[in-house]
Amino acid sequence: MAAGRTRTELGRALADARAAWGSPAWVAVAAIALAAAVPFLSLPWVRVDALAQTVYLAVTATALGLLVGTAGLPSLGAGAFVAVGAFTSALLVAREDWPLEPAALAGALAALAAALVFGGVVRLRPAFVAASTWALAWLVWLGLLAFPSISGGSQGLIVPDRNLLGLDATPTVHFEVALALLVLTALGIAAVRRGAPGLELTALRQAPPLAVSLGVRLGRRRLGAFAASAFVAGLAGGLSVQLAAVADPASYDPFLSFKLLVAVLLGGAAATLGPAAGVAVLGLIALASGPLARALQLPLERFDAAVAAILLVFVLALGGGGIVPWATRRLAHLGWFQRVRPSLQVTDCYKEEERREVPGGLVLHAQGLRKAYGGVVAVDALSLELVPGEAAALVGPNGSGKTTALRLLSGAVAADAGQVVLGDRDVTTATPSERVRLGIARTLQTVTTFPELTALEDVLVGRSVRRRYGGGIRTALATPNARRETAASEGAALEALALVGLRDVADVETQALTTSERRLVALAAALATEPDVLLVDELAAGVGADELERLAEVVARIRSGGIALLLVEHNLRLVRLVSDRVLVLAAGHVVAEGSVEEVAGSDAVRQAYLGAQTL
Amino acid sequence: MTIALQVLVSGLAAGGVYGLFAAGYSLMYRLTGIVNFAFGDLVGLGIFATLLVLAGTTPVTQSGAHEPRFVGALTVGLIVCVAAGIGTYVGLVQPYLSRGSTIGWVAGTAAVAFAIRAVIGATFQRSSYVFPDPLPFHRVGNAGFIKVAGAQVEARAFFVIGLALALALGSVWLLERSRFGRALRAVSDDAEGARVVGVPVDLVVALAFGLAGALAMIAAIAAAPGEAVNANTGTLLGLKGLIAALAVRFGPPLWAFAAGLVLGVVEAAIANVHLGSWQLGPSYREVLPLLFVLVLIAVWPSRDALEERE
Repeated sequence: MAAGRTRTELGRALADARAAWGSPAWVAVAAIALAAAVPFLSLPWVRVDALAQTVYLAVTATALGLLVGTAGLPSLGAGAFVAVGAFTSALLVAREDWPLEPAALAGALAALAAALVFGGVVRLRPAFVAASTWALAWLVWLGLLAFPSISGGSQGLIVPDRNLLGLDATPTVHFEVALALLVLTALGIAAVRRGAPGLELTALRQAPPLAVSLGVRLGRRRLGAFAASAFVAGLAGGLSVQLAAVADPASYDPFLSFKLLVAVLLGGAAATLGPAAGVAVLGLIALASGPLARALQLPLERFDAAVAAILLVFVLALGGGGIVPWATRRLAHLGWFQRVRPSLQVTDCYKEEERREVPGGLVLHAQGLRKAYGGVVAVDALSLELVPGEAAALVGPNGSGKTTALRLLSGAVAADAGQVVLGDRDVTTATPSERVRLGIARTLQTVTTFPELTALEDVLVGRSVRRRYGGGIRTALATPNARRETAASEGAALEALALVGLRDVADVETQALTTSERRLVALAAALATEPDVLLVDELAAGVGADELERLAEVVARIRSGGIALLLVEHNLRLVRLVSDRVLVLAAGHVVAEGSVEEVAGSDAVRQAYLGAQTL
Repeated sequence: MTIALQVLVSGLAAGGVYGLFAAGYSLMYRLTGIVNFAFGDLVGLGIFATLLVLAGTTPVTQSGAHEPRFVGALTVGLIVCVAAGIGTYVGLVQPYLSRGSTIGWVAGTAAVAFAIRAVIGATFQRSSYVFPDPLPFHRVGNAGFIKVAGAQVEARAFFVIGLALALALGSVWLLERSRFGRALRAVSDDAEGARVVGVPVDLVVALAFGLAGALAMIAAIAAAPGEAVNANTGTLLGLKGLIAALAVRFGPPLWAFAAGLVLGVVEAAIANVHLGSWQLGPSYREVLPLLFVLVLIAVWPSRDALEERE
C-alpha cells in the first residue's frame, strides 16, 4: 500500500520534472558533468586542491546568497561559521581521532548551534544585523588568536590524513564531494526560493510590517535562513579543513567573511548560482593578481584584499545586480531561457475549513481598550462589537485614534488595559501573527503591497499562514504534501484575487498596478489568510471617485462570505455605500454610534470634527 | 585595592578612547541609520599618515617627536582622516542611502575598511611600529609612573582620561549650543524635515562623519605611544567602539561614551583581577565583552531596533 503510494508520488514528481525540463536544465547537467570530469583531464595549469577549496568556498557563498539575496540580511559574518565548523572538525580529527565525516557533521552542528545562540539579531533592523555579524566575525577570529591551545596558535592545527566516503581523501575526492555539495545546496536553495519560505523571506525583506500583519513569523523565518546558511558554512568548513591539512587561524580572519559577501554581490545575490559565479571570478582574479603583485612587489595577501574591495565598490557603484542576473537578462533578450509557468491544477484536496460557529453571535468583542504614548492618550476606554457579515466603519478626525484602534485589535501594539475576544477566545496577549492564525487580518494604510512581487505572489504571502507543509526543509525536499499544498495555495490565492476582481493581473508586479488595484491586492492577501474579522485601514485613500463603487462591490462580496469588516475610513461616500453601522472616534473615545444618517446629524460628531464653536 | 585602582585608571584611559569611537558610531547611526564599518580604519589611516610624515616608514623612535614637525604631521594626519571620512560618506554611504540600499553601504564601508588595511599593510610592512611621544611623560614621577594611594599608575593615563572627557564634553556642548549642533540634532530627529527648513543635510552629515573621525583620532594618538601600533590598531579600536555603541543600541552619543568607559574598565578587570586563585587572564580580555554584548542584543533586543515595528 505504502509502496504503491510512494510509486505514484515518484511518478508524479517525475512527470513534473519532465514538464519543467528545458534547455537550461540540459545546460546545467552538461556543466556539472564537465566540471566533475576536470580532475581526470590532468590539465597542467589546474591545481585540483586549490580548485576543491574554491568549490567549498562556493558552497558557503551559495548558502550566504539565500541570506543576503532572499532574506536581505547583510551578513558580514559568514566566515565565522566556516571557522567554527573548521576548528570543531579539526579538533575532533586531530585530538580525538574521529573519522572525517562525523567530525565535519559535528562542525556543521557547532556552526548551527552558534547561529541559534546569536540568531536573535535577525529580528533587528539591517544595520544591527550587519554590525553584530561583523562583531561575530571578529569575535571568532580574536578567540582563535587568544586561545592557542584550541587553535594551535600561529602554527595552526595539523589535520592528519583521513578517508572520505570510503576513499582516500585526495584532492580529487574532495573536489567531487564539494561539487556534489554545491549542486545539492543550489538545488535546495532554488526550491526554497521558489517555495513558500522564499516568498515569505522576500516579503519580510520588502516590507516587514506588512508581512507581519499578514501573519508571517519574522523571527522564525529569518532564523531558519540564518541557521541553514550557518549549517552549510560549517559543513563546508569542516570538510575543507582536512583538505588544507592544517587549520590556521590566519585563514579565518574577518576578511574571509568579507570575501564571501563580495562573491555574493559580484555574482548576483538574486540568482541562486550568482554567489558561486562570484567565487569563480574572485578565484580567477586571485590567479591573475599573483604575477601582478610580484611585479609591483606587494605582499600578495593584502593585494588580494585591495582588489576585492575595489572590485566590489565598482560593482556597487554601477548599481549592478551582479554577473548572473545580468547574463540571464542578456540571454533572455536573445530568446534563451523562456521561463514557462507550469499550468495550475487546482483539483486536489483543497477545501476551505468550515467557518466556525460563533456563540452569542459576536465574532469580535473588544472592551475598555486603552493605549497611551507617553502622556498622550491615543485610545481610551474603547469598546466595540462585530457580528459576522457586517461592515462597521470607524470614522473620526485625524489623530482621533483610529489607526491605533486597529493596531490594538490586531496586536501590532500592546494595549495598556482592556481585552480583545475573538469568538469565545481571549486574544489580548496574542502576537499579531497568532491573531492572524486565529482569524483577525488587517490591511495597512501606508504600505499596501510588496513592490517586487506579482499580485499572485503577494496574495500567496497571506496564504502562507494556512500552510502546514510550507516549512524550509519540506520545501527543499519538495515532499508530495508540500507540492500538493503549493498547488492548492495557488488555487486559493487566485480565488482571492478573483473575489476582488483582479484575476487578470495575477502575474503583474504590484508596483505596476494602480493605487486602487494595490489596495484590492492587499485586501485579497488579507482574505487569503481566511479571516473571520478583517480590519481595513483607509481603503479609499488615494482612490479616484469613479472607483469607489468597485471597492464597495468588493466589500459587499466579502461580507456575503460571513466575514466581519471594520473599516477605518475618511471617505464618507464609501462609508455610506458599504456600512450599516458607523462608530465615530474623537480623542480616543467613541462619541457616537449608529447609521450614517444618525451619526451625521449628531452634535457630538460635529463638535469632534469642527471643534466647540459652531459655524 | 591597589590593583583595583590600577585597573580603574588604566581601564578608564583605554575606555576614554573606546568611548569617543562609540560616540562617533552612535552619532553617525542617529544621523543616517548606518553603521560605518570603515570608522576604525579611517582613524588608523590618519594615525599612519601622521607616522608617514613624521618618520617615513622606518620604525619610529623618540627622535623628531618634540619638533614643530610633530604638529605638522598631526595636522596632516587629521586632514587625511577627516577627508577620508567625508569621502566615505559622499562616495559610499550617501548614494546608497538615497537609493534605499542597505547592502550598498554595508559592503561599501566594509570595502573601505579592508582597502585601508591593505594599503597600510603594504606600505608599513613591519609587524608593528612605535608611535613617538610628543609629551615627556617619562620624566614625570618614576619613569612615567606615579604613585597614587600605593598603586603605580601611568601618568599618561590621567592625560588620556582628561583629554577624552574634554573632547566628549566639548562635543556635547557643540551639539547642544552651536548652530552646527542644532543642525545635527534636527537631521537626527527628521532628516526630511530638516531639509525642508533649509538645513544643508548632506553637508552637515558629511562634516559630522569627518569630525567624528578627528575626535577619535586625537584620543587614539594621545594613547598611542603606550603600545605598539600596526594595521590592526585602528580596526580594533573601532571594533571596541562599535561594541560599546551596540551595547547601548546606538543610543545618545554620551551614553555610548559612557559605555566605552565601562568597556575599558571591564577589559582591564578581566585581564588583571584575581579572585583568590581564580583568574580569567588576558586571553579573555577582548573576547568576553564582545561575546557578552552579542548575546545581550541577540536575546534582549530593544523594541526600537526591532524590524517589525511599524
